[in-house]
Amino acid sequence: MPEIRTKVLIIGGGPGGYVTAIRLGQLGIATMLVERAWLGGTCLNVGCIPSKALIHAAEAFEQAVHQAGTDRYGIRVERPSIDFGRTMEWKDGIVGRLKGGVAALLKKHGVKTLAGHATMLDGKTARVESDTGPQVIKAEHVVLATGSVPAPLTALPFGGRVISSSEALSLSDVPQRLVVVGAGYIGLELGTAFAKLGSKVTVVEAEDRILPAYDTELTRPVARRLGALGVEMLAATRARGLSPDGEALVVEFAGGTERRLPADKILVAIGRRPCTEGLGLDQLDLGMDGAFIRIDERCATSMRNVWAIGDLTGEPMLAHRAMAQGEMVAEIIAGQRRAFDKVAIPAICFTDPEVVTVGLSPEKARKAGHEIRVASFPFQANGRALTLGAEEGFVRVTARADNHLILGIDAVGQGIAELSAAFGLALEMGARLEDIAGTIHAHPTLGEAFHEASLRTLGEALHI
Amino acid sequence: MADQSFDVVVIGGGPGGYVCAIKAAQLGLKTACVEKDATLGGTCVNVGCIPSKALLQSSHLFEEAGHGLAQHGIKVAAPGLDLAAMLARKDKVVQQSTAGIDFLFKKNKVTRIQGTGRIVKAGEVEVTAADGAKSKVTAKHIVIATGSEVTPLPNVAIDEKKIVSSTGALALPQVPKSMVVVGAGVIGLELGSVWRRLGAEVTVIEFLDRILPGMDGEVAKQMQRTLTRQGMKFRLSAKVTGAKSGASGVALSVEPVNGGAAEEVKADIVLVAIGRRPYTNGLGLKEAGIAIDNRGRVVTDGHFATSVSGIWAIGDVIEGPMLAHKSEHEGVACAELIAGQKPVVNHDVIPGVVYTWPEVAAVGRTEEELKAAGIAYKAGKFPFSANGRARANADAEGFVKVLADARTDRLLGAHVVGPMAGELIHEFAMGMVFGASSEDIGRICHAHPTLAEAVKEASLMVTGRQVNL
Ligand SMILES: Cc1cc2nc3c(=O)[nH]c(=O)nc-3n(C[C@H](O)[C@H](O)[C@H](O)COP(=O)(O)OP(=O)(O)OC[C@H]3O[C@@H](n4cnc5c(N)ncnc54)[C@H](O)[C@@H]3O)c2cc1C
Ligand SMILES: Cc1cc2nc3c(=O)[nH]c(=O)nc-3n(C[C@H](O)[C@H](O)[C@H](O)COP(=O)(O)OP(=O)(O)OC[C@H]3O[C@@H](n4cnc5c(N)ncnc54)[C@H](O)[C@@H]3O)c2cc1C
Repeated sequence: MPEIRTKVLIIGGGPGGYVTAIRLGQLGIATMLVERAWLGGTCLNVGCIPSKALIHAAEAFEQAVHQAGTDRYGIRVERPSIDFGRTMEWKDGIVGRLKGGVAALLKKHGVKTLAGHATMLDGKTARVESDTGPQVIKAEHVVLATGSVPAPLTALPFGGRVISSSEALSLSDVPQRLVVVGAGYIGLELGTAFAKLGSKVTVVEAEDRILPAYDTELTRPVARRLGALGVEMLAATRARGLSPDGEALVVEFAGGTERRLPADKILVAIGRRPCTEGLGLDQLDLGMDGAFIRIDERCATSMRNVWAIGDLTGEPMLAHRAMAQGEMVAEIIAGQRRAFDKVAIPAICFTDPEVVTVGLSPEKARKAGHEIRVASFPFQANGRALTLGAEEGFVRVTARADNHLILGIDAVGQGIAELSAAFGLALEMGARLEDIAGTIHAHPTLGEAFHEASLRTLGEALHI
Repeated sequence: MADQSFDVVVIGGGPGGYVCAIKAAQLGLKTACVEKDATLGGTCVNVGCIPSKALLQSSHLFEEAGHGLAQHGIKVAAPGLDLAAMLARKDKVVQQSTAGIDFLFKKNKVTRIQGTGRIVKAGEVEVTAADGAKSKVTAKHIVIATGSEVTPLPNVAIDEKKIVSSTGALALPQVPKSMVVVGAGVIGLELGSVWRRLGAEVTVIEFLDRILPGMDGEVAKQMQRTLTRQGMKFRLSAKVTGAKSGASGVALSVEPVNGGAAEEVKADIVLVAIGRRPYTNGLGLKEAGIAIDNRGRVVTDGHFATSVSGIWAIGDVIEGPMLAHKSEHEGVACAELIAGQKPVVNHDVIPGVVYTWPEVAAVGRTEEELKAAGIAYKAGKFPFSANGRARANADAEGFVKVLADARTDRLLGAHVVGPMAGELIHEFAMGMVFGASSEDIGRICHAHPTLAEAVKEASLMVTGRQVNL
């Protein structure tokens, strides 16, 4: 069997893996990347990018429908129709171009890629089932970046009309009746998009509210909007399984009563689990953290020169965390002294309105023992929001009571995902409320709400 | 009338004046604000930022409905326009905003005095109400916040019907077939965009050989290309020397700046947008001995004190970029100074935004300025075409450009052309306030997929470490 030697072997070509590879290439280190399915991983193929494209198209459609009904802006349109096949082609076009971009970048930086499934034989050796037959690769460093896959629900296995987010992103028609199991961000993002495209959507959630990872103050505007879009929300409700005829989901309410929810598609979005199948972990002696691989702040596993990054290493399962870890691991392998100081990993729900959280929520800050001051500023009092017709929501700032160091910044509102970067910077720079107060924010922008929220937290609000 | 003596009287209720008044009142000072117009909010809220952005948003939606949806697989018949309803929505947004300031005045106990203020001397303002009645207001401190007005163009008299200023252009009763915008600055391009989107044929005539004077040259070039593709026409290095207004529209005489024959250019509507100048008419500056500079701006010591003790000035009426947020921050700082605090306004870091599509935003220095100052710098430039969110939003035009000191890597300037540029610029602004390096921005974990990742990538590019290009 041919044996290939390389300095670094990366398994998995998602955002974690491919970014590590590019950075290693830039640093002049011989690198080989093995990917079994698609470059760009979950994120580019069946995650962030296609979901945001679908969300955008759905939003544009809903806006046109809304305009046909109201004439708020003085624009008269006939009721629009959608050619969903064309929408999907457009989405596939974007994914295709970005994927081509990743391949080109890897090549440009001298990274060798190999298509095939990799199984570890020992800590530094992998066997890859490639198109041209099996190959063995030996490396000085191994970076595990195999990501995650949708978690199945035992009572409701994938197949037939029971689908995961991956299938939901490549349907050929808009389902008439869509049931979403799980009101986390993936379920709600997709549920909202399909509701806008015309599906009758029902969301089933075991916890007593949507987006259970966020506090209710933040999620209330999202819940309201879901209601306005006609999405039925069944909280504190469990999915029991398919009905005997296979055409409906049977759910059980807190009180024990059951209900049949007829559905054309049932999207199970209850979370994701690490992808370790066939990776040969049994051949290695890696410390684990539940089903995830345990790492330290340098992304080192319990074995020397075996590194792990991304979704495989647990929460938060976010593409930018995987990328940040990847950049760092590359530099560590190149001999630089680096560690991951996770001051600010923004999390965004691309729901409607969008939700952004960076740093600590008020509740977490209190739990961490901080004495805090917290205040929010509503977009209702923000000029830009008024001009955009996007008055729902607010920016909320949490700071230490004693020295005003900002601990967390959260926001909910239309189109506010982009505010996350300035929030992140503020935390990374160790900003105090006074620092934000002293920074001139352009008028009229949504960003002024961050400025005003900081002023208000100081007790010096001007515009409320 | 009630007690007419105050700690502070602010003349002008625009973003500079009303914010200064609110802040002064919050600091425990007995404060009044004199405003000649019927509503508070000044240029910005009544005939500036707010109504222009409302129309920009509406006209953008109109254009999207007409052209932007097909690529997503959305089919819709060509939209119709109800201009009256569009203008009514704009008026409603303005009215909501001015009502908001009324509320803030009440809440903070700022006394509002309606009428035109004239400074008699330090400590005394005479107010003339709309009916001509005069009253005297005394105050320990007077703040001049009288803002700016449209700069007139010689031989092109504004009638606000056919030859309009930005104010008239925010309320045209019908979409003109043709429109000439004189001046390719921010206001001209924004309002020109509004009417082009709604169906007018728009030609922009500019004296200089480039658009967006003062902004980064590369940005201006890109925007000229983009706006041209959208259907806007440009005549650069041309000056308008006269206008004849008749029943069929306006005939402008236009001369090449570099010499050559004058030519006639016709349009239904002409928008004069060659800039704004400080407004101090009837304010009594001369009599009160308050110094102004050769451009008519009230001279201050850099800390808002005029040449007469007890009289302060802020906003468009003094030196610096004519921007609402600059006025506001000066208003806050001026009130704090009056209250005995020691605030500073960082005039080196004032972001500016152009709300065209795509937007343009800038903070700090341009490449041209750095070259002229002989500062060695490095640039990083990342296109939105390589950004996932921009692609997913079908809105991938433009770039992020970062300029950093060649030796220290400290951020010196940033320029963004692209979707939501006006929001993205704040990360740079904040970074510059903190004295951040491009590496600082490049090392921060930016959420995926966001447009802001282009900010990170451009920053990484300064040192050649970009990942996605
Ligand atoms: C619908 C949806 C929407 C999302 N939206 C967002 C969002 O907006 N923002 C965000 O930050 N995150 C989002 N995520 C999460 C994001 O996609 C993941 O956090 C990210 O992809 C993790 O990157 P990774 O590199 O760790 O793993 P992955 O992207 O999962 O990549 C792992 C790669 O490894 C390959 N692989 C696995 N095992 C092997 C093997 N043995 N041999 C060879 N190759 C192997 C897989 O084929 C895969 O390509 C979303 C996810 C989903 C499902
Ligand atoms: C079309 C347009 C679009 C704009 N868009 C933006 C933008 O997007 N972002 C931005 O930052 N800036 C924008 N501007 C500029 C912005 O409006 C000004 O920078 C801002 O309004 C200046 O605030 P100010 O308080 O200094 O003066 P002003 O807003 O001009 O307020 C001065 C006030 O003083 C009153 N006044 C004057 N003299 C007297 C007197 N003697 N007695 C009593 N009252 C008096 C006036 O009536 C007026 O209300 C725009 C301007 C225009 C025209």
